[in-house]
Amino acid sequence: MSAGDGNLGAGGQNRMARIRERYGVLRRRGDAIWARRYARLAIVLVAAAAVILFPYLFQPGSTFLFDLVEAVAFVVMALGLNVVVGFAGLLDLGYVAFFAIGAYTIGWFGSGFFAYVNHTKGIHILTSGLASTLPGIHINLTAGRQGITPIDPGQLPGLNPFDPLNLRPWYWVALGMVAIVLLVNVRLRDSRLGRAWVALREDEVAAASMGVPLVKTKLMAYATGAAFGGMSGAFIASYLNTVNADQFAFSFSIFVLAMVILGGLGSIWGVVLGAIVLSFINTWLIPSVIPNLSSKIGIKVDLTSLSYGIFGFLLVIMMVLRPQGLLPERRRKLEFVEHVGTGPTDMSAERV
Amino acid sequence: MEAARRWWSRYALIVFLLILPVAFGVHDIVATGGVTRIAENLKDGISNGAIWALVAIGYTLVYGIIELINFAHGDVFMIGSLVSTGLWGTLGLTLTTGTGGLIPGLILSLIIAMIACGSLNVLIERVGYRPLRGAPKLAPLITAVGFSFILQNVGLLWIGGSQTSVPDLLHAQQDLFNIGGVHIFRADLLSIAVMVPLVVLLVTFLARSRMGKAMRATAQNPEAARLMGINVDTTISVTFLLGGTLAGAAGLVYALYQTTIWYFQGFRAGLIAFTAAVMGGIGNVYGAVLGGLIIGCIQQISDNRLGGQWTNILVFGYLVAIMVLRPRGLLGEETREAG
Amino acid sequence: MTSARTPAAGTEPAEQPSEDALLSAQDVSKSFGGLLAVSDVTFSIPERGIVSMIGPNGAGKTTFFNMLTGLYRPTSGVISFRGRDITRMRPDRITALGIARTFQNIRLFGTMTALENVLVGEHARMRAGLIGSILRPPRVRREERSAHEKAQELLGYVGLPASVMGLLAVNLSYGDQRRVEIARALASDPSLLLLDEPTAGMNADESARLVAFMRQLRDERGVAILLIEHDMKVVMEVSERVTVLDHGEKIAEGKPQTVAGDPRVVEAYLGKRGGTE
Repeated sequence: MSAGDGNLGAGGQNRMARIRERYGVLRRRGDAIWARRYARLAIVLVAAAAVILFPYLFQPGSTFLFDLVEAVAFVVMALGLNVVVGFAGLLDLGYVAFFAIGAYTIGWFGSGFFAYVNHTKGIHILTSGLASTLPGIHINLTAGRQGITPIDPGQLPGLNPFDPLNLRPWYWVALGMVAIVLLVNVRLRDSRLGRAWVALREDEVAAASMGVPLVKTKLMAYATGAAFGGMSGAFIASYLNTVNADQFAFSFSIFVLAMVILGGLGSIWGVVLGAIVLSFINTWLIPSVIPNLSSKIGIKVDLTSLSYGIFGFLLVIMMVLRPQGLLPERRRKLEFVEHVGTGPTDMSAERV
Repeated sequence: MEAARRWWSRYALIVFLLILPVAFGVHDIVATGGVTRIAENLKDGISNGAIWALVAIGYTLVYGIIELINFAHGDVFMIGSLVSTGLWGTLGLTLTTGTGGLIPGLILSLIIAMIACGSLNVLIERVGYRPLRGAPKLAPLITAVGFSFILQNVGLLWIGGSQTSVPDLLHAQQDLFNIGGVHIFRADLLSIAVMVPLVVLLVTFLARSRMGKAMRATAQNPEAARLMGINVDTTISVTFLLGGTLAGAAGLVYALYQTTIWYFQGFRAGLIAFTAAVMGGIGNVYGAVLGGLIIGCIQQISDNRLGGQWTNILVFGYLVAIMVLRPRGLLGEETREAG
Repeated sequence: MTSARTPAAGTEPAEQPSEDALLSAQDVSKSFGGLLAVSDVTFSIPERGIVSMIGPNGAGKTTFFNMLTGLYRPTSGVISFRGRDITRMRPDRITALGIARTFQNIRLFGTMTALENVLVGEHARMRAGLIGSILRPPRVRREERSAHEKAQELLGYVGLPASVMGLLAVNLSYGDQRRVEIARALASDPSLLLLDEPTAGMNADESARLVAFMRQLRDERGVAILLIEHDMKVVMEVSERVTVLDHGEKIAEGKPQTVAGDPRVVEAYLGKRGGTE
């Protein structure tokens, strides 16, 4: 069908015109794509700047900032659990264990715990009964309810040493952790392993038949989630300056799980939102806002004694009204919307 | 070596289950010349465990039919305790009430507690779980947690934050009789006397009645059950009703047995009962009972011999061991494809 | 008599289980509790052959399939692939060795797109691990790109229109879903493809096209195929050898025409009536 000998001729001129037109279209479409990309980049940069500079709006030691840092630490936790529960679809009710391991690790090494010897000979377990009557040296593993305190805060090169009066460096460290966890989450979602997790969650048998090693893949999910749980746990222990057994109740696991589910299972930004919302409900709305509210409305009942119930009520309401979560994962939304894909190459552009 | 491995894979589970009582039994024989102590541990374990068994059945029934861990169930049990002890005041049951007034009074409070808890469970299902039938399986889990918190707050408002004594109406620790040195108390008899008939009734109901068949069918395949004309919604409600009534009964027994009640008792009981249900094979009523009894025994042996701090470690260590050695649970059915 | 040739359909003599066979099963049985689903079946598949397994419902065909792919563990017997014992191997290892399958009721990953489904099929042929997936060094990026290209190519090969490659599997038509399943199975570069009732729900036209496609797979990609089928036309058309199971036992095996005329086979399908097909 081609002209063959290099002479354009009438047919050739038509072709050139068509080529030029198509090139023009492509150039315009290309421009549009680039414009979209630049716009997106600009938005991301502005948002990042806002997030980084946020603490300057508040006093360095303000309680809001205190709660905010805790919320950010919870975001890291929730994103870690998201890998296990959201991506791979594995129900994990023991997530608090990794929080504990991280917290105790920094407790051991960040304080004089191992270094001081008890004033009595040998070091004893803080338990009673059979075990403590055995002679010999016991290793002090946990300090039970009393806990290990104080814990030296972390020292990072270049930043001023942390102190409880200036919460900003804590915030930025926490933000750094979030950045890492986000990167890991996003990268894994669109990778061989991420796809294996979704397949595993959908249909384990089919996944195995397609070559996905079940045990190894599940372990990878747990390991990744655990790593972030531990990381955040170490941070929180250092931040709160204490680690003791009371912090590690079963309800903590449920709390973080609620963040993941509320945010929208598997949806990365949903989980971020869920973590922030629940953390603030827990540390701010219920302790501070609601008691004030009751006096403003003139209710005689002391609403603080209802804080459990209010929290539970909020959970129920949020789930019943929006079971798919605050920002549901793209996949679940797409189930209900007919969507004509433009081809595989565009799919990578669609993601975050 | 191969023979040893095969022996281990068949009998490891039994070894694990027996190792505690046998080891301490031997210790007792050596130390005291008799097995009275271990027998007493086991007796206490069974009567305590019977209470867990009743609560565990609720978990196992609900999970069997809609694959939901009803986190609020333990707190329904707590409400059962609170309702029944509250009734004692209303009915004027005190330590001085004679047997003629006590027995009917207790039976009445039993019935009312069962009805109250059954209805509560049905209500929770209707409000919190049914709307989420189509949602991912983890969503109703959060509503369950929400209800758990709400119920705990109710308990908190009702009787305050600390453990509260209730009148020891049955003189729970009164010695009834003596089997070879082991004292059987009224509390023990009460526990078994309530659990056994209820379990028998339930199992008969499940096996013989139309609704029981409907429940079993729905548990296996809700779609097919619906196509066969079974009203799945009603069947699920009945399941919750049954679980709730058993929890209510357990609540009353617990109050009479322990003579204290606490707003937090439900959370603790829920954890134990759910563990028992899983251990015994989730979905299996006998398994829940067995699991409850086993955990009761582990707890007693541990509390009595090693100290309370080790109890949880042992209980959950056993759970892990049983799950590893027999993933479907002690009496569970093998439902998965291999590999 | 070796099995390395490319046979023309319907003209090769029946293969006996031999060491040259691509896959061979010796005296394989499977019992579930008291129920004996498969009983002492000896069976082999020649390299690049197209063979079928037929039998009335409940004969044990899918159970046998599941044993070949590692989903069930045989109660007794030995299965070897290319001389290697795979009797107790995990399903994902078996896939990595080169056996792939489709399912009787389509088991695609519903919330993944057609393309992503095929990408999962390539899992065994890709190497990116946890760290690699996070850091995305050039090697991993190249692997992802070529995996995407391969997936697209496979979907095109099975005849899926490009416009639906980005659709979620739940939203595809039945026929397209079947195609994606086959593409997904081919994604692991198998030497043996097990198809479980691939023509279910197809009309005569589509079945004919599938037959041609199977021959194409064998000739172009060197894939051997084992087929469970109920559509006798397809079986007669494409099989080099047919094996018949009934109540878990092998009751006949041989060329399609031979088996069709075997009175035991007729009886198995029609019941004890003694009439001809």
